[in-house]
Formats: sequence, C-alpha cells, structure tokens
Amino acid sequence: MRKFSKTFAFAKRNIKEIVRDPISLIFMILLPLALEVLFYFIFHKLTAQFEMANLAPGIVVFSQSFLTLFTGLLIALDRGSAFLTRLFVCGARSSEFIFGYAIAMIPVTLVQTVLFFLVGGIIDPSIFGVGMLRCIPLALLTSLLFIGLGILFGSVCSEKSIGGVASAVITAQSVLSGMWFPIEGLSSGMVTLMKCLPFKNATDVMRLALSGGGDPVKEHLVPILIVTAYVVASFVGAIFAFRSKMRSKNI
Amino acid sequence: MTAIRTEGLRKEYKDVVAVEGLDLEIEEGELFSLLGVNGAGKTTTVKMLSGLTVPTAGDAEVCGFSVVKEPDRVKGSIDVSMQETAIARKLTVEENIAFYAAMRGHSKEQIEEDKKYVYSVFGLDSVAKRYAGKLSGGWQRKLSVALALISRPKVLFLDEPTLGLDVIARRELWRTIRELKGKMTVILTTHYMEEAEALSDRIGVMKDGKLLFVGTQEEMYASTGKGNVEEAFIEIVTGGERDA
Repeated sequence: MRKFSKTFAFAKRNIKEIVRDPISLIFMILLPLALEVLFYFIFHKLTAQFEMANLAPGIVVFSQSFLTLFTGLLIALDRGSAFLTRLFVCGARSSEFIFGYAIAMIPVTLVQTVLFFLVGGIIDPSIFGVGMLRCIPLALLTSLLFIGLGILFGSVCSEKSIGGVASAVITAQSVLSGMWFPIEGLSSGMVTLMKCLPFKNATDVMRLALSGGGDPVKEHLVPILIVTAYVVASFVGAIFAFRSKMRSKNI
Repeated sequence: MTAIRTEGLRKEYKDVVAVEGLDLEIEEGELFSLLGVNGAGKTTTVKMLSGLTVPTAGDAEVCGFSVVKEPDRVKGSIDVSMQETAIARKLTVEENIAFYAAMRGHSKEQIEEDKKYVYSVFGLDSVAKRYAGKLSGGWQRKLSVALALISRPKVLFLDEPTLGLDVIARRELWRTIRELKGKMTVILTTHYMEEAEALSDRIGVMKDGKLLFVGTQEEMYASTGKGNVEEAFIEIVTGGERDA
C-alpha cells in the first residue's frame, strides 16, 4: 500500500477540493436530480423517453459528463498556479498524478449512480431490481470516459478555456445521447454518427443494463466495447498530454 | 562544504537565452541572494538547480548530485517555494501540511512531527483549522513557504518569497527566514534590494541571463563605490550609465 501512498494522498486532496466546492456539487448532484424529478413528472405520460426506466440511466450518464468539467478545471487550476510545480519537486510521477485525479472522482460517480437510481426508484418502484446492481460497475466504466476526457482537456487547456471545452462535452452528451428525444426521426447519417460516438452508447449501456432486455451481443456487448474503446483512447491521450507537459516542464 | 556548484549552466527557450554560462559556488549554510530585474534569469536558474527544468548546456551539483544526471536525488535534498503561492486552497492549513508531508512519503507519526515543526517555526497553529484559501495574502505566503520546510531540505530555494506582501507581513517573513540561516542553505531570489541587504550573506547580481557580480555586501560597495545595495545594484546592471 505504501507504493500507492502518494496516489491516495493526492486523491484525498482532490476529493476535498471537489466536495468543498458548492458549485461542483450543484452541477454534479443537484441539477441532474432536479431534472430527473421535474422531467419525470412533466413528461413521463407524453413520451416513453421520460419514463423512469429510461430517464434515470440517462440522468446518471448526463451527470457524469460534469466530471469532465470539474476534473479538467481542477487540473487546469493546479497547472495555472505553482501547485503542480511544488508537487513535481516532491518527486511524484505523472502516473501518480493521473490516478490521483481519476480515483478522486470514483466516489462522486458512485454517489451519483446510487442517488439517481434510488430517487428514480422511489418515484417509480418498478425500476428497483437486479438491473440496478448491474448498472453500478457499468456506471464506473462510463464515468471513466468523462474522467479521462477531463484529465486530457485539463492537461492541455487553460483555466479560462477548459469551461468552454468541457461544455462541448456536456452538450454532446445531452444532444448526441438520445436521452431527451427519440432518435427515430433523425437522418440515417446523424444516427450513424451517434452510434459511432461514445455518448449514445454510454446511455444505452446503462438503460439496457437496468432493463435487462435486448440482444446480449448487439445491444449489450457492442455498446460496452465502444465505450471501453473510447475510455482507453481518452486515458492514453490524457497520459500522453500530461506526461508531455511534465517532460517539457511547461506546466 | 559546497552546497551548490554550477559550471557553464545555460538555458535557451527557442531564440531566447534565459541563462548564459552561469558559474557559481554556494557554501553550506549560506543565505545567498540572487538579485535582478524582471527577466534577468533568476527563476530559470532556480528551476534548473531544483531539477524542474533541464539545462540546455552545462551542469550543476546540488548537495553532490548532478541536476542533469540525478534530478530525482536533487529533489530529495531540496525544496522550493515558487514566487506564486502554491497551496491547496480548499484544504485547511493543517490538511495542507499533512498532504504535502504525505506527498513527501512521510509516515503518520512523521506527519504529526511535521505539523509541530511547521507550527513552531511559522506560528501557523493559530490558523491551523482555517481553509488556506480564506487566509490573508500574508498567511497564505507564510504557509506556502512553510510547506517547503516539511522535508527538512538541505537547500531551500525561495523565489521572490515576499512578492506582493505588505510591509508588516514582509518583515515577519524576513524574521522567519533569518531564523533559518545556518540551519540550511537558502537561495533567495528577489528584486527588493532592502530584502537582499537585510538577509544575505552574499549577493549575486543577474542581468539578461548573465551573472554580473558575486560577493558580500561590503565587496559590492567596494567594487562600485556606493554605500547601499540599491545604488550598488544599479551601478552594476547599468555599468554606471545611469549616473552619467
């Protein structure tokens, strides 16, 4: 455990920085929670999109997209101040920094997942079941996508530009996931694009894990593999970007 | 014993030479001030000597380790307080100390000792439970400098430690820095002449990346014919043109 002591010490600091910032809690917890409750009661009788079995998994992934913003912002702020420079003098390695940032977000995503499913289940008890348990490990997978993107963008963006870049990810998750509207009416090109990007796949992974239906390969395994590929790509990019900044000492 | 020895240390950024052919020796326990106007190369020198930036040419030995070949061993012997305040703003003062000590690989027992040590040197116990980001600028800077002492470094680099502080906070920090004299080698960069005058055993004057003068205050006065550090500094960096 001593081998990982710097990683855990850094993760502990990062968790405190996140949870002691009321703005991050509002966006990562309160806003998605309000949307889940309001959209269910306003729209669930109008369209299946807003039935809790579809809404709750969508909200979980939507809330995770804010991890990109707050992970990226934390890294950009650390880079912008002399804070990371100070830690480089401690001899900490780039892998310890990257894992420290990533591990700090895991408790946040667990709280998001449990809370939004729990509240969804209280409103509509039909979603309670073994599907919820399947969703928890898969939520960790989908959260890694947004955490990886946060580390990547936080490593290359300034504290002024990270907000805009992360907002593009949040918007993409909102628009390209199909969580707010049915995709049947869209052009085939648009649907193909959505199927190639990770956002709809991440939402599908959660929805199908909750419902348990569908083809095991085409509707479960393929989206998981696509999301996993994007997770790997985002972390490889994040490690490369962070390390190149550390090597150049241009932090 | 020599704490720092540099030989032809040079740093280039694209077409700018930030530090050029620096040859310098600093003894153990000495408080050495690097004086210079903005852009003189003081911070780049500190970054090279602390293993944060790789020199373009030349080398330096810090505590017997090469900054080029053994930067990790250099980092194990030194610590740095950069000119920007470097603290975790949403952690309390106590948590900042514990966090930085943990990043230095200290055990729980050592961390408790670290807290007592830092409190005793800097008097931070009165604000131990307050969030660092909520402290005044003076206290934040004190904490930032204090964190650099946690590893009990043999060589401490203080890059513009009193930049932006009011006169009371500056004098308090001077008192603390004076208490460190003899216990460790301190390299202080500053462009406040009175700071160098009040604290230094020896002074180095840099301009455009070059070291123009090294010596005691008395040697500085003797070589320039001036009676205080500010006048002597101006004489050295302008070559007497200002007076003419």
